[in-house]
Amino acid sequence: MSNMKLLEIKKLNKSFDDKKILTDINLSLSSGKIVGLLGKNGAGKSTLIKLINDLLTPSSGEILVNGEKIGVESKKVISYLPERTYLNKQMKVSEVIELFKDFYQDFDEEKAIKLLKDLDLDINQSLTKMSKGMQEKVQLVLVMSRKADLYILDEPLGGVDPATRDYILDTILSNFNENASVIISTHLISDIERILDEVIFIDKGKIILQSDADKLRNKEKSSIDEIFRRMFKC
Amino acid sequence: MELTFDNNIPIYIQLLEYMKIYLISGVFKCGEKLPSVREFAITFKVNPNTMQKALAELESMNLIYTERTNGKYVTKDQKVINKLKDEYAITLAKSYFQGMKRIGLGKADSIRYLEGIDE
Amino acid sequence: MLGKVLKYDLKYMIKNMRVFYILSIFFAITTRILFEVEQSVIINIIGQISVGCMIAMLANILINTMTRSWVRFSSSLYKDESYLTHTLPVTKNDIYNSKLIQTFLFLFIGFVVILISLFITYYSKENWQVITNIVKNITIGLNMNTIFFVTMFLIVVFLEIFNAIQCGFYGIILGNRKNNKKIGYSVLFGFILYLVSQTIVLSLIFVYGLFDSSVMGLFQTETVSIDANAFKILLVLTSLLYVIIIYCMSMLCKRTLNKGVNVE
Repeated sequence: MSNMKLLEIKKLNKSFDDKKILTDINLSLSSGKIVGLLGKNGAGKSTLIKLINDLLTPSSGEILVNGEKIGVESKKVISYLPERTYLNKQMKVSEVIELFKDFYQDFDEEKAIKLLKDLDLDINQSLTKMSKGMQEKVQLVLVMSRKADLYILDEPLGGVDPATRDYILDTILSNFNENASVIISTHLISDIERILDEVIFIDKGKIILQSDADKLRNKEKSSIDEIFRRMFKC
Repeated sequence: MELTFDNNIPIYIQLLEYMKIYLISGVFKCGEKLPSVREFAITFKVNPNTMQKALAELESMNLIYTERTNGKYVTKDQKVINKLKDEYAITLAKSYFQGMKRIGLGKADSIRYLEGIDE
Repeated sequence: MLGKVLKYDLKYMIKNMRVFYILSIFFAITTRILFEVEQSVIINIIGQISVGCMIAMLANILINTMTRSWVRFSSSLYKDESYLTHTLPVTKNDIYNSKLIQTFLFLFIGFVVILISLFITYYSKENWQVITNIVKNITIGLNMNTIFFVTMFLIVVFLEIFNAIQCGFYGIILGNRKNNKKIGYSVLFGFILYLVSQTIVLSLIFVYGLFDSSVMGLFQTETVSIDANAFKILLVLTSLLYVIIIYCMSMLCKRTLNKGVNVE
């Protein structure tokens, strides 16, 4: 049991009609890591993440979470922040909290309420009356208020102001423990690289590199951001 | 205690330097209990694993030690800290004299300049 | 977990449907009051408007129950909200069953509200007599209970609409397996499924008719008189067939859904 990987992806392929989106993805991830899934827009980051979250079905290959296929058990231990707003707009924040409490045993209501307060969000407000940015913050709070094994955050820093960005990074760090892992997908590498243990470079649907962040810096004598730019000439 | 990091250099090496300076300058005193890895990571805004690595390195240098279950403490041996302080001071002084030498000033002149500076 | 999923499906429907229920009952009551009070031209006109509103609300209840069920199904399984639905620790079967139960309940509530509204507006001994007479005329006085007839008739209509809604669900599931023009395909598949299911019901009744000449008689237009017993069998048989078809289709839906989804 102890050497069982938190997440293991074997020979994963995904295509729509004839268009290949992901090719031969092999990946394994153990607990206690903060991992950056780095790639340009359209590189396949979101597709990979959606496959892990059962929003897409693999064309071939296998995804295992704690040794089991994607399903109810994997969903219990994965806390996922999509790159879009996904809550029913008719609901109030308090109702959404109730929903999370209903479905996720690991949801910490007190923590959610505290985080909402920190971010100046009103629990009695309806989501329709909130800006997109505010809704995204609510979602972040919900996702981070779970005590999950694996957090998957898809572009959590896209389009947020620096203060919120710092808050997000703080929340990730303070929530993080040795039993959990965090996957953060982003194309804004410099903002985030100092909190990463590991980096995965993805380009044109393929994994180009997976490495320990500091080892890579030491080897290349430069920042992850720069290594990435050099590699993909952007 | 917000720190700035250079992303070009491994983060744990930079953390190590910061920690050494905190120890030398007495921010953390001899025998004092250190915050937990987690607390450090949050205040410095770094990954706990990286923080852990830096602390492990400090421990291997005997600058700090772990008391089972109780957490980490700064060494009780002031000599170790003094030695580190000495090393740092010598390095800094050397680099000062080197710089002065480059603009044609000898040791005696350099010291006079130093004395003339008000802090 | 089914209960929890259902809780949120029902909450959504209640939020969106209650206004129609309230308005329908409201107009029914106004109409009744206006018709009961002393007649005058103005009150009569207001009364007619009120009847119109009530009828519109009744239609709205039916139409909205259908469209809301489809919209909810499509949005929570394939649109933005699907990002939540599919990541909840719930089986696809529970998600589907919940939608089906929600549809059943709200179609039922819709029927009840419609009946209550009609009852409030029109109930009187004379009107009931009129309905009884119509039923008697259809069944040519052969001892068929009016309540039984009306109930069976409503059940058939109910199942028919329920089946239509589920055809829409399956259409949406199949349409979303395509990589583009998902909405177009959903509508097309839903419509085809509806036609197919109707054809199956009809042809099975016809097959039954081959063994029961009285039921077959109902198909023959030249037969003037209608056999009450055959009519009874027809109603019961049709309901039964619908129940079977609805059950089979729900199994197919779940099987297809369990193969996995691809949301945008």
